[in-house]
Amino acid sequence: MGFNYRKTRVMNEEKLKVMWNKTKSLGSESVYNSQLIQKYLSGRSNDTSQKIRNMVRFDIVLKALLVLVFGVDIYLFAGTTNIVIVSLFAILALIPIIFYERRMLTRFDEVADQGQNTREKLSSMLGYLKTKFTSTLLAISITYLFLFISGSLIYFYLAYGHVRTLDTIDVFVFAGFILIGIVFNFTVNKGQVKYQIKHLENCLSDLNDQALPLAEEIIENQRKQDRANKLILGVILVFGFVLLIVVLMNIGT
Amino acid sequence: MQKTGKREFSELIEKHQGIIHKITMVYANNLADREDLFQEICLQLWRSFTGFRGEAQFSTWMYRVALNTAISNVRKNSRRPVFETLKGNEKVMAEDLNDAEQVKLLYRGIARLNHIDKAIILLWLEDKSYEEIAEVLGTSKGNIGVKLVRIRRKLEVWVSITEKQES
Repeated sequence: MGFNYRKTRVMNEEKLKVMWNKTKSLGSESVYNSQLIQKYLSGRSNDTSQKIRNMVRFDIVLKALLVLVFGVDIYLFAGTTNIVIVSLFAILALIPIIFYERRMLTRFDEVADQGQNTREKLSSMLGYLKTKFTSTLLAISITYLFLFISGSLIYFYLAYGHVRTLDTIDVFVFAGFILIGIVFNFTVNKGQVKYQIKHLENCLSDLNDQALPLAEEIIENQRKQDRANKLILGVILVFGFVLLIVVLMNIGT
Repeated sequence: MQKTGKREFSELIEKHQGIIHKITMVYANNLADREDLFQEICLQLWRSFTGFRGEAQFSTWMYRVALNTAISNVRKNSRRPVFETLKGNEKVMAEDLNDAEQVKLLYRGIARLNHIDKAIILLWLEDKSYEEIAEVLGTSKGNIGVKLVRIRRKLEVWVSITEKQES
């Protein structure tokens, strides 16, 4: 009985391999030539990690430009104390975040490395998406807020030659729109990775029974470590809103 | 190895492209998705190539990068019916119709598996040892052994039932 079962099993296994080997011709026949492959190597990636990497790179460039624009604002409003102070604070807030994002990008290269084994790759990516991705989105939200402040200052200078004071309702409307923009950006991006997170979790639990709980344990530790970063970024975001109110209400002139 | 330029690397990929084709056949359901995945795998191989120190065999490293790309390459809108067609690749897959049907049947069976089981069965069908499969996926040899028994059984049962139904 046992012998027959083993014989049948071996036969079935052989059958699967025979069926598979019928595709062997794929290995010897070149479907794509090296010129086409070379073109592929310079193409754009659709991978989530590449999209995140591009998002952070773009944000670093934007923040660096904002530092320059705030420098221009200081020059244009040299006689207006509150604007000089706001611009200086903005520069002081943006520079460390640029370095933080630069470091984040270097770490992300390790996370996104496809040369790791599958378990490491899945857990490191899951870890990033469940912890550091929120910090990335917070850091990017800060850019939008400061972009609005620096842009408004340039606009005020070009349109009026000085900072125009807005009333409380205008300030609430502006701040409200920015807040809605930030929340929308946050929700859309979080929603996009939600599916990816579910997929990574499924793959890890399919790999073996321990892979997911082990990864979750590491993620919990990372989350604790990242708590301070999130808090600092959150404080800068709130601080940015305060600077916005100072500019729009022209407080301290 | 690290000084290899794009041209030399493309020639290397051209030589080993059979590996990528098999992976795309297993992980993508239609021709357009297969082409996209092929391109994505080529890109990821090129990007990871600087990290390849030649400790593992080139083909093993290629399986690792290509499978990681295929496993993590999931799109929300790509939930099409399982293995809708093999058109466009049939001519290179098998000489006669019977072979093509057999290959199609096997791929349809594999398409029903989850992403990890697909990787395990693909590596086993490619005659990789349990040790190599475990190394690529980052799990134990024992786990691979247990999983393979289940996957093969599932696949064998499905293939024989479908064969009977369709004959």
